[in-house]
Amino acid sequence: MQFTIPILHSAVTIMTPLLLASMGGLFTELSGMLNIALEGLLLTGAFSSVVFTYYTGSMVLGTLLGIGCTMLLSAILASVTLNLKSNVFITGLAVNLFASGLTVVLSFYLFANKGVVVFDTIATLPLLGPPSLAKIPILGDIFIGHSLFVYLSWLLLGLSYIVLYRTPFGFRVRATGLHPEALSTLGMRPDRYRFASFLISGFTCGLGGALLTLNLGAFVPNITAGKGWIALVVIFLGNKTPIGLLIAAFIFGLADAFSNFAQGALNIPSDFILAIPYLFTLLAMVGSSIYAKKKGAIES
Amino acid sequence: MLDRKPHQSRRILPTLRSSAGSFLILLIALAGVVVLSLLLSKTPAKTLRYFFLGPLQNTYYFGNMLTSAIPLIFGGLGVSLAMRSGNFNLGGEGQIYSGALVTTLCAIYFAPLGLLGALLALCIGASVAGGLAGLSGFFRMKWNTSELITSFLISNAVVLVVNYLIAGPFMDPSTSLIATRKIPDSFRLSALLPPSNLSTALFFALVAVVAVHIYLYKTKSGYELRMTGLNSRFAKYGGINTKKFIVLPMFLSGFLYGLGGGFAIYGTYFSTIKEFSSGMGWNGLAVALIAKSRPSAVIPAALFFAYIEAGARSAMLHSDVTFEIAAIVQSIIFFFISSEVLLTLFEKKRREL
Amino acid sequence: MPLELAVEMRNITKIYPENNLRANDEVDFLLRKGEIHCLAGENGAGKTTLMKVLYGLEDHEGGTIRIRGNQQDISSPLVANRLGIGMVHQHFMLVEDFTVSQNVLMGIEPRKHGLIYDRKKADTLVNEVIGHHHFSIEANMLVRNLTVGQKQQVEIIKMLYRDVDILILDEPTAVLTEQEIESLFSTLKQLAQKGKSLILITHKLQEIKAISDRVSVMRQGKMLDTYETEEVDERQISALMMGKSISLSIEHGKKNTESRPVIEGRQITVLRQGQQRPLLNALSFTAYSGEILGFAGVSGNGLGVLEAVLGGFIPIYDGKVLHNGEDITNIGTALLRKQGLAYVPSDRLKVGSALKASVQENIIVGESGSFRKNGFIDQKKVTRHTNDLLERYSAKATAQMPIGTLSGGNIQKVILAREIERYQDYIVFSEPTWGLDIASSQFVYEQIASLRDKGAAVILISSSLDEILTIADRIIVLYRGTRVASFVGDEARNLSKEEIGEYMLGIRRQGAAHA
Repeated sequence: MQFTIPILHSAVTIMTPLLLASMGGLFTELSGMLNIALEGLLLTGAFSSVVFTYYTGSMVLGTLLGIGCTMLLSAILASVTLNLKSNVFITGLAVNLFASGLTVVLSFYLFANKGVVVFDTIATLPLLGPPSLAKIPILGDIFIGHSLFVYLSWLLLGLSYIVLYRTPFGFRVRATGLHPEALSTLGMRPDRYRFASFLISGFTCGLGGALLTLNLGAFVPNITAGKGWIALVVIFLGNKTPIGLLIAAFIFGLADAFSNFAQGALNIPSDFILAIPYLFTLLAMVGSSIYAKKKGAIES
Repeated sequence: MLDRKPHQSRRILPTLRSSAGSFLILLIALAGVVVLSLLLSKTPAKTLRYFFLGPLQNTYYFGNMLTSAIPLIFGGLGVSLAMRSGNFNLGGEGQIYSGALVTTLCAIYFAPLGLLGALLALCIGASVAGGLAGLSGFFRMKWNTSELITSFLISNAVVLVVNYLIAGPFMDPSTSLIATRKIPDSFRLSALLPPSNLSTALFFALVAVVAVHIYLYKTKSGYELRMTGLNSRFAKYGGINTKKFIVLPMFLSGFLYGLGGGFAIYGTYFSTIKEFSSGMGWNGLAVALIAKSRPSAVIPAALFFAYIEAGARSAMLHSDVTFEIAAIVQSIIFFFISSEVLLTLFEKKRREL
Repeated sequence: MPLELAVEMRNITKIYPENNLRANDEVDFLLRKGEIHCLAGENGAGKTTLMKVLYGLEDHEGGTIRIRGNQQDISSPLVANRLGIGMVHQHFMLVEDFTVSQNVLMGIEPRKHGLIYDRKKADTLVNEVIGHHHFSIEANMLVRNLTVGQKQQVEIIKMLYRDVDILILDEPTAVLTEQEIESLFSTLKQLAQKGKSLILITHKLQEIKAISDRVSVMRQGKMLDTYETEEVDERQISALMMGKSISLSIEHGKKNTESRPVIEGRQITVLRQGQQRPLLNALSFTAYSGEILGFAGVSGNGLGVLEAVLGGFIPIYDGKVLHNGEDITNIGTALLRKQGLAYVPSDRLKVGSALKASVQENIIVGESGSFRKNGFIDQKKVTRHTNDLLERYSAKATAQMPIGTLSGGNIQKVILAREIERYQDYIVFSEPTWGLDIASSQFVYEQIASLRDKGAAVILISSSLDEILTIADRIIVLYRGTRVASFVGDEARNLSKEEIGEYMLGIRRQGAAHA
């Protein structure tokens, strides 16, 4: 039981890339696009942020440039999908494949290393937290002492909520997914809002990916290890709302943190644990299809 | 009455037109190779020479290239069958892998049965893979769940489970690789082109192409499958059991992928090594997309893919680039291959009015 | 009072290239300021297309549009809105999860600090407009909780808010209850009094008489004429909508004493979730051998549903269908085919054929098995069979070309060939000559007549009264899914189109049940 607090603390950081990715994915999902490129975008953010940090010596600049790269990739994805009228699942796969290939290729080209690349010159990620707040029992231990990324993600989540539910832009994004003709019959173009959603997902994944690598000061091939897919599960489980996202992401972060601590202590093979998100999503999908069918009209 | 042109030539021009989009995309891919080499290699000319000519320079490289095309042919056929019926099979990774594992294990178990055992093992392995795909088809038939997504999800989970099985209960402790025990020697297919690893599996792949072609175009079932894919309302109206042709093509699709896995074991690997088939499922999908689901076009498309991978490997061995440039090239193909705009760029809308 | 023209459309032509359809053929349409003008016609007459052109949802190939005297190029709904034109669509364009305000103000939402939606201001603005027109809704209600009539009010407010003074309503009463219709009409009258100009697309005669100042009638893409509503009565409008008879003569069958019932429908009722009225209401009929039974009606009154029932596409909720005395209710298309269903569908492109498949592949659907030799399809046999059929049915095509490259008439000939070859004792035709030229139509009728002469039970479903009168031996009229009239033999021929049209449009109803 003395592990509870450290596990919870660890969970908060671990869940952050997941939360960020799913936030971006939420926008694309609400605009009616199944965005499976979150995985590839996270990886791109992870790689480019740490590499730019290494070269510029500044974490801030490195992260910003990393986000820029990721947004560029998401813009390409959006363009090929929307302007060239492609299947969004296949172009998403293309992004994932592209990212995984490009990161290894560049890693080899720049550092002559296809494996784990450790950047000694990168400092450890500064942890924030005023000591006065840190002294609060339990809550202080769990929530204080994380990097800026974590607190930024909470801010962004709040911002997402405001944008989606309190701004005209957010209404239109949601309208694009719910009833695009409501927009087009008034002369607005739904594709614009889908494009914007892809860019937003590029932004959040860039940020989320940066946390993954800057936390370690190293780049590990396939560091994202399915987090992009879990982000999709988080969106579904969270019922496509910001609060739901937070809870679902926390649950997964907790599971991850727990398995880190309990390595070897439990008998469940790690592969099975990794398979759970896919099986979960599968059940959720089939379940919602059955529900939709029961609600629907007579088949014609 | 219309002019009588010879049956052949009337078919060539429209076929060329509809392939033009695919050719364009492949050209873009090759251009990508050139660009990447120029950017990343200190000796681009050397890199390009090894990339384009390496796979062809001797029997060893050429044969190995053909070997890697074999699972792509099976996968390409599988996805093509599914697409022809209006379904997307994105579960190739799990289907090849599980087909391979089950085939291996059954082969070991059926060793005393000789040739029969080898065939039985292959069938069972392919059927398990087919069952996985068929499950997605079932979900679509019953509840209209997207088979594209469910096949992918099942595949991911299956890959993890197979990984576990290979590293765990079925691991062969005598080798340094994470792999199962080997299949009986008598089950191994003979080599075609030593010193490369090309085996007679190539013939089976070609037979499969012919079989699928005949199935699609010369059997009642194949005909009904195609009509369901072209216009399911028409098919239903005509009396075709469209429900059957959601599940059956998916099953056959997975079955073919599973055969690809099984033949990879019988012909090349002889035991299921962890993650040996990684990427083959996706390549099979890309092959089918390039071939526009035409069985005869699967062969050149598969060869093209195999060529790119072999070229990347050759460039890697002899020059200063890394193998993963193949992934980049393949992703370029994926980017464009489903674009309505590009694929119909050269097709005229012809309607007699 | 000077008669200002709010809208002047001249010579508007709109062609849909995919099926070479002249949806609008040099149409003139004039709308006076402050009037309520009904645009009437059957389905497919071109009324909605004309209005889509006016609202900027479709472009047009010829003609000019003047709004308040100035020529305009209306390229999108935004432009239309700016010119003061609004459209309330037949199917609502609302986001159910949003409030009335959010829907009404989509695209022009008021903001606080430039970025945040100002809910208070939005609700106030919208409530103002609502109150001005005495509607029953409130700005902060969620659309999903509104009744159909209220949702329509939201659509109207959406347009009124944008200061439109030319308002187009597409079949506004289609989904409303009687009270809702009354309420809508009083609203429309108020709007007209305030100087707005209204266009109502409709084919409902009673409503045309009840609400409009003038009515323009369209038929088959052409504008026939415009009338002051008080100077015409429902019968005259109905006659205009239905059109004059074409002289295609087919010899009518003589009643054969050996005829037996082949297809029998007993009290067939079809429901649909979400709609109050049944799509088919206790429909009973008998189709005899050696006879052409024609079902007449205006589109949307059950003809399509009947077709779907006979074809096995939709299940029936109550009642039975019998074939030679055997119960074939709800057995599904595949089994119906085995039982001998032959059926020429109304949608020849989406149901009757697979456009990308070849002519011969289209021909053998359903019986591909009988072309097998040693288990494999004998392509040569298929081609020979196809060529034989093509010649016998005078279809200009070759066996291997994709059927999508043929003209509509030739596609229909292929479908006819297939279905007629297949029939055993009954055959269903639905809208068989839609979009065909006179010669092809004549050919089709001759085929149908010869089938009847051979003893087949022919069921003809058609929204074209001309067609029914040309060949049907017996006629059943459907109105709102119910059988409202039937005529046999001589009775039918002596009736005028106008009279039957009145049954079709619900003005008249036959008393006792006929055979």
